[in-house]
Amino acid sequence: MKRIIAQAVKELSQFRRDRLTVALAFVLPLLTLLIFGYAIRLEAKNIPIAVQDFSNTPLSRRYTERLFATNQFQAAPLLGGSAQSVLDRGRARAAIVIPPDFADCIQRQEPSAVQVAIDATDVNNARVTKSYIEATTRFFLRISGLQSVPQRLQARIRIWFNPGRQESLYIVPGTCAVVLWIYPSLLAALAMVREKEQGTIVQVYASSLSALELILGKALAFLVVGLSEAVVIITVSVVLFQLRFAGDPTPFLLGTPIYILAAVMFGLMLGTKAANQTAAVQGVALVGFLTTLLLSGFIYPVSNIPFPLSLISNVIPARYYILIIRDAFVRGTGWTGVWFSLTMIVVLGSVLFNVARRSLSRMQVSD
Amino acid sequence: MPKLLDHVLNSCFWALAVKEIRQILRNKQLLFLLVFPPTIQLLIYGFALAPDVEMLRLSVLDYANSQTSRELVSALTENRLFIVNGYTFSETDLTQQVRQGDVTAGLIIPPNFERRLNQEQTAEVQVLIDGVDANTAGIASGYLSQILSQFNRRLSPEATPPLVNPEATFFYNPGLISSWFFVPGVIGLVLTLISSLVSSSAVVREKDTGTLEQLLMTPAEDWEILLAKLVPLFLLLMGDVVLALGVSKLVFDVPFRGNMIIFFLVSALYICVGISIGILLATISKSQQQVVLTSFFINLPLIQTSGAIAPVESMPLFFRYAAVLNPLQHYVAIARGFLLKGVGVAELWQHVLALALFAVILMGISIKKFRSQLN
Repeated sequence: MKRIIAQAVKELSQFRRDRLTVALAFVLPLLTLLIFGYAIRLEAKNIPIAVQDFSNTPLSRRYTERLFATNQFQAAPLLGGSAQSVLDRGRARAAIVIPPDFADCIQRQEPSAVQVAIDATDVNNARVTKSYIEATTRFFLRISGLQSVPQRLQARIRIWFNPGRQESLYIVPGTCAVVLWIYPSLLAALAMVREKEQGTIVQVYASSLSALELILGKALAFLVVGLSEAVVIITVSVVLFQLRFAGDPTPFLLGTPIYILAAVMFGLMLGTKAANQTAAVQGVALVGFLTTLLLSGFIYPVSNIPFPLSLISNVIPARYYILIIRDAFVRGTGWTGVWFSLTMIVVLGSVLFNVARRSLSRMQVSD
Repeated sequence: MPKLLDHVLNSCFWALAVKEIRQILRNKQLLFLLVFPPTIQLLIYGFALAPDVEMLRLSVLDYANSQTSRELVSALTENRLFIVNGYTFSETDLTQQVRQGDVTAGLIIPPNFERRLNQEQTAEVQVLIDGVDANTAGIASGYLSQILSQFNRRLSPEATPPLVNPEATFFYNPGLISSWFFVPGVIGLVLTLISSLVSSSAVVREKDTGTLEQLLMTPAEDWEILLAKLVPLFLLLMGDVVLALGVSKLVFDVPFRGNMIIFFLVSALYICVGISIGILLATISKSQQQVVLTSFFINLPLIQTSGAIAPVESMPLFFRYAAVLNPLQHYVAIARGFLLKGVGVAELWQHVLALALFAVILMGISIKKFRSQLN
């Protein structure tokens, strides 16, 4: 135990001495949090739409005004081109063509077809644009007294946990999970591989320190670093993005150190396997980013991931930590909802620990 | 003229280029880096990013249990937008399921549902939506109102059909295949990462091993040294464009509707941008490790604000303006234009111009920095 702590203290003082690494350890997580937290918005807003109004009557102008009354759409100039050319140039995501007989048809109580050309390169936005236009049209018909369908059935829709549908409440906790995986593991991997590159690991082998003690010592040091990163990140999230505990915070408070420890183990494991620092960083960046960004449910729900990849997502600790942190800050069910996720992180963390320990002791024998 | 040709042919450039190519071919790690990560990234981004909001799990508490209430449930599920996860018989169960996120939405049909409808009164159903995923929740509630308004029409067959009919046509990707959106973006992302990494490590390696001084002592001029370094890398990176297009065609069946030759020319511009960023990184860093760490600072913002993954329009105003200064954003727009829209330089000239400017300016700065470091 004493030797583990001594190893951790040595590791921390080495870490402190490298100014660049210390700066990176705190600046990079913050930068990531700010960029992801502010820039990733999935909900389509301000979609540029061009309207070609051949009817040019008070009714058609009212319809056009209605479309741009919310912040979903923004008017884009047609610039004399056709609907297709506006889309080709990417000036608008959709073009609406109101036919010349628009007002006449409606006066005669006959349906008038409005052509809507949608740029479907961005599939998600295309779908949303279509349903916004349809909904706005229905709303237009109702408020202009053109709709004769009685509202016999009404739905009272309540959106729980995040009634204002603030997207930052979805993105920011996920970003914390990504950040707290990538950076602690990156630092741990670098520390491990540096020892190998500079040959100091031979001195460690020659000492009475065992592989287990070496790993635990390093893990302890980077757990401390990771936890201080976590404190910074969470504080900034609370201040800038208004995250507040929604329920019992104990699963989160307990889960975070365990998760960071798992990340550190992952980094140490890659560090023992990588040949040099560049390879270690590449490994962490590639594997870490790909799995935590894409296979964890950070951006889109895990249930959308197709079959062979969905199997991988089951062994990604970030996937479980995202559930815990979203529960702590948004959902608020506490232990009942997340005990399984916490167990999975513990299991996956110990697997990573064992792999790291094994590969390190194998290295020791071969040398 | 022959003199110039003679000069070019006798230049040390060729000998140096041959040396660089030999070095690259011996460097297994570099070849691995050029092939493996781009392929993996394309595959995982293309398959795993699936924004489709459909088959949302719905839990139903049907107190009415009448014909109309059952019709309502089947109206909700007929387009596979919602699927019934299960029927419950208590409100506690239903709220528990939504609270824990087991289902996306819970539908409560009150006992007086049928009676109110028969009495020509407005019947009200309650829907609870799990709002943790704000985007999905918004789309789900949009679907619900849409389906309910159609259902209302069905309940009053005597009503006139809707007077304005938006007839939507999807252009460029009528099948709404989401990988078609992500793959061109990821091609740009992959080229950014790989070109800056490869060029920076080529420059830094000579610095690290001290062979840069040896090169300087040769009769070669500094531009010959740099050019000999970059031309082989440039060609290899063009090979990555071919690789990425191959994966996008063979695996994801993404169409290529524009002019292939012009697309390669524009990609060459973008690779020049990436290489310049790499050289800049290498000149300001002392070691290879610093290069890879500082590249995080450049690549992360570059990728996240490029629209490769999340569309630029939905970002806050600041990022939408900042995107103009992001070369990757221009390249992604060009790639989507060439692959999906089948448009060319005539439509995309602003993006091409911006890319050319970036290539010239960044190349200029990085070469100047490199030369000043050599002297």
